[in-house]
Amino acid sequence: MINFLNRLRKKNIFSFIALIIIFFLYIFSFLADFISPYPFDKQFREYSLCPPTKIHFIDKSGKFHIRPFVYGIRIINSSVGKYREDKDKIYPIKFFVRGNKRKILGLFPSNFYLFGTEGDGKIFLFGTDIQGRDVFSRVLYGSRISLSIGLIGVSISFILGLFFGSISGYFGGKVDNILMRLVEIIMMFPSFYLLLALRAAFPTDLSTVQIYFLIVVILSLIGWASLARIIRGMVLSIKEEEFILAAKSLGISTFRIITKHIIPNTFSYTITAITLSIPGYILGESALSLIGLGIQEPYPSWGNMLSVSVGNLRILTSAPWMLLPGFFIFLTIICFNFLGDGLRDITDPSLNTGY
Amino acid sequence: MGILEVKNLIVSIQSLYKKVNILRNISFSIGKNEVVSLVGESGSGKTFTALSIMKLLPQAAKIETGEILIDGENIIEKDEKKMVKIRGEKVSMIFQEPSSHLNPVFTIGNQMVECVKGNLTKGEKKEKVIEILKEVELPEYIFYQYPHQLSGGMQQRVMIGMAIINKPSLLIADEPTTALDVSTSFRIINLLKKLISTHKISVIFITHDISLAVNFSDKIYVMYAGEIVEKSPSKKLINSPLHPYSEKLIACLPEKYKKREKIKTIEGTVPDFSSLPSGCAFHPRCPYKKEICEKFLPEEIKIGESYVRCFRYGKITKNN
Repeated sequence: MINFLNRLRKKNIFSFIALIIIFFLYIFSFLADFISPYPFDKQFREYSLCPPTKIHFIDKSGKFHIRPFVYGIRIINSSVGKYREDKDKIYPIKFFVRGNKRKILGLFPSNFYLFGTEGDGKIFLFGTDIQGRDVFSRVLYGSRISLSIGLIGVSISFILGLFFGSISGYFGGKVDNILMRLVEIIMMFPSFYLLLALRAAFPTDLSTVQIYFLIVVILSLIGWASLARIIRGMVLSIKEEEFILAAKSLGISTFRIITKHIIPNTFSYTITAITLSIPGYILGESALSLIGLGIQEPYPSWGNMLSVSVGNLRILTSAPWMLLPGFFIFLTIICFNFLGDGLRDITDPSLNTGY
Repeated sequence: MGILEVKNLIVSIQSLYKKVNILRNISFSIGKNEVVSLVGESGSGKTFTALSIMKLLPQAAKIETGEILIDGENIIEKDEKKMVKIRGEKVSMIFQEPSSHLNPVFTIGNQMVECVKGNLTKGEKKEKVIEILKEVELPEYIFYQYPHQLSGGMQQRVMIGMAIINKPSLLIADEPTTALDVSTSFRIINLLKKLISTHKISVIFITHDISLAVNFSDKIYVMYAGEIVEKSPSKKLINSPLHPYSEKLIACLPEKYKKREKIKTIEGTVPDFSSLPSGCAFHPRCPYKKEICEKFLPEEIKIGESYVRCFRYGKITKNN
């Protein structure tokens, strides 16, 4: 593992940085309950579209505080989103503050929050949305959906695609024929109408998150087909390589030849394809929200948070912090792309010229 | 009885329009600790003979009739599962271009450990690999290197190591030195000689280079257009070749010529398998051509220690 990280750092520093960023994004989404100062559906009606709270060290009399603090928020006109800092009220930011009891990861009951203010002070690091919910907390909770969905979808479709693609390519003949016809049948499904039909077919007592996960699973059960075709094509050419003949002549079994010699040789493609299709799922989720299949309010996901703000011109001009989920989508996608690049570099050792 | 016996092997290949026999009536045997060279021009069926013995023929090719006995067992009847056991343990093969016969994405050690058969723990397998690396005169650190980091000679040593790691009784070497320079190829040949004598391996050595074959092997089988036209002990072949084709091949050896003298070649080319000449396949290029050669196929005739298929030494016995 350490060796791998070292190689990645030497080979491609950007992808190493990307890996670190992705790592932290996942840590934050894992600990969302603990880090976020408010629950995702907590509404502060009077603070609709409040801009991000500024964190101060020096108060109005010029006195320096070691502990950072926020000022209270004075509402001027909450319907048009006008707020002022109330410089008379100082609320220091405290770590491990007590708040409402909730279960971390749905398991451990706790009433500690990583940071927050006591009393009437409010801390909105990324501002609030129209309903007055803390965008920072919602971004954290939303990352749970947005970051996990890609992994689930990708792992299902890639495992199936690799399995059927390599079998079909390696054995050829009848097996190939049958599997490829199956793939064509699966590729024939019109996915948009399938989604509409699924929407109607799902029982109404499932929560929106459950429905969304089901849809991703079903989509990836369809999505493996095109991947299997590409893998099959690659296997067809790899199995003619001379090292496969050599491996056979040394008495290595068919199973080992497929798993050891053929599949790893497709990795230069598959790893890039995996890292490139994860962003597809993240973006696809926001598109699905439009037809009522994505994550529904009040549950947050980066996609549906962004679609609310992009659809509203007033928000775009007066509350730009509402676009922050878009920044996180961008960050995740670009990090996965860089990571894919770096992984391709180190999984194909013949590209290594530095030795 | 020999390690390997091939009897009346006929291999055909299905082309778009018709089926052609690319190996015709191949019969030979190889004894214990014997080194036999197959020589002949490109396209004479040397590699196909080797691949039939491994049962690794390409999909279009098919064994029509014949027997291939390895240690008395006919492998033509065996299925793929049983062949996996035979390959590596009884027969193994090394190839022409070592760089393309190693998997580029794994380290040498990783690939060699893969080849070790039998119920051994990982550590034992690794020990065995390092032992073999020593035997093929490679340093231990090669274990952790990738194929592209090695030179051609080192890669060929790795291939040889992989081939002999399970102590097979027969090794097929398909032009193992063709892709290497002269001094490296000599070192590889010396290494092979050493391994053959220490492990008592029989070898089929496929080459274009007759002088190398004479130096390396006990017997030489000359192939032409999918047939073995002559089988002779090496010394005898180079001094008094029987078949006109062997004679011509030996006449082409550059060592026999003075400086600046023009080297003779065999006129014409190896015939296309889909339109083989009638009778003896060599007759269009043969200086001793008789009428009979165009009509009939010569049988194998024993002369001293050699076997030859040519009408110069015998009568017609079979209609074509």
